Amino acid sequence: MDQALSKPILLFNDECAVCRVIARWVMKSTESDVRGSSIIVRPIGNDPLILRMMNPDLDIWDAYANIHLLMPDGSMRTNGEAVAETLRNLPNTRWLAGSFNVRLFGERPFQAMLNGAYTVLADLRPLLGCESCGIPPPWLRPFHWMTQRIKAVFKARKHTATAAHLTTRPALKSSNRSYIL
Amino acid sequence: MPIAVDFVKSVTGESFDSLVLASPNPVVVEFMSYGCEHCRLLEPVLQEVAQRLGSRESVLRVNIAVDQELANRYDIEGTPTLVMFLKGIEVGRAVGPNPSVKVLWNDVTRPFEELA
Repeated sequence: MDQALSKPILLFNDECAVCRVIARWVMKSTESDVRGSSIIVRPIGNDPLILRMMNPDLDIWDAYANIHLLMPDGSMRTNGEAVAETLRNLPNTRWLAGSFNVRLFGERPFQAMLNGAYTVLADLRPLLGCESCGIPPPWLRPFHWMTQRIKAVFKARKHTATAAHLTTRPALKSSNRSYIL
Repeated sequence: MPIAVDFVKSVTGESFDSLVLASPNPVVVEFMSYGCEHCRLLEPVLQEVAQRLGSRESVLRVNIAVDQELANRYDIEGTPTLVMFLKGIEVGRAVGPNPSVKVLWNDVTRPFEELA
């Protein structure tokens, strides 16, 4: 926890292939920093209590829904703001991160673009093979449906909530099955 | 949505046999995933039901993203799925229950009441 107090912690969903690739890239980038690793990258994991110990306001469901960066001062950055702060902490992208602070008529246009790009990427995750990234947004559902059908040809079972479960009446199935273990 | 007390304890592949199958009491197991939006909607409702049940039934959760073997063993086709166990035998299941305390209460108590 000492490390956690001195450096930002980037939480990533280790069940999501896209998130793992990004986390690996961040880890690799921090290694090239001559001043030593400037960011701690860690998976969200499975324990809500451990997360709450790192920050009392951190909710595991939120952590899985979007990117979270825990700052040493106890604050949290999320979504595009977390991406900008991460880039600010990496030696290769520090120069680029400065642009996110540029203000034009009181707004931060580059930060707004980054927020938009992050939202699109987050929405796309279920389509890119992340089975733990929730139900895709309405605009992506036809594409998601198609990819699921294609995947079903190769893989018989999927462990993701489907939209049908949100609308169908709860089905209580009595079962006499017993399992021999 | 931070919760003060977790009334639904997590169970893993390692502890499943001792906490679920070997339990002499009724056990409800929620097969879920933290990335599942419907599981998230169900969470506060399940917490309330688990709190009301108290020691009458144990309510546990299995994160299928971590324990896929358990999900395969119990034919979990989607999340959330609640499976009711009594003395190691599955006595009922509710697939994608409505996030309502009344509905969920019925789903998790009825299978045991029918057996009584």
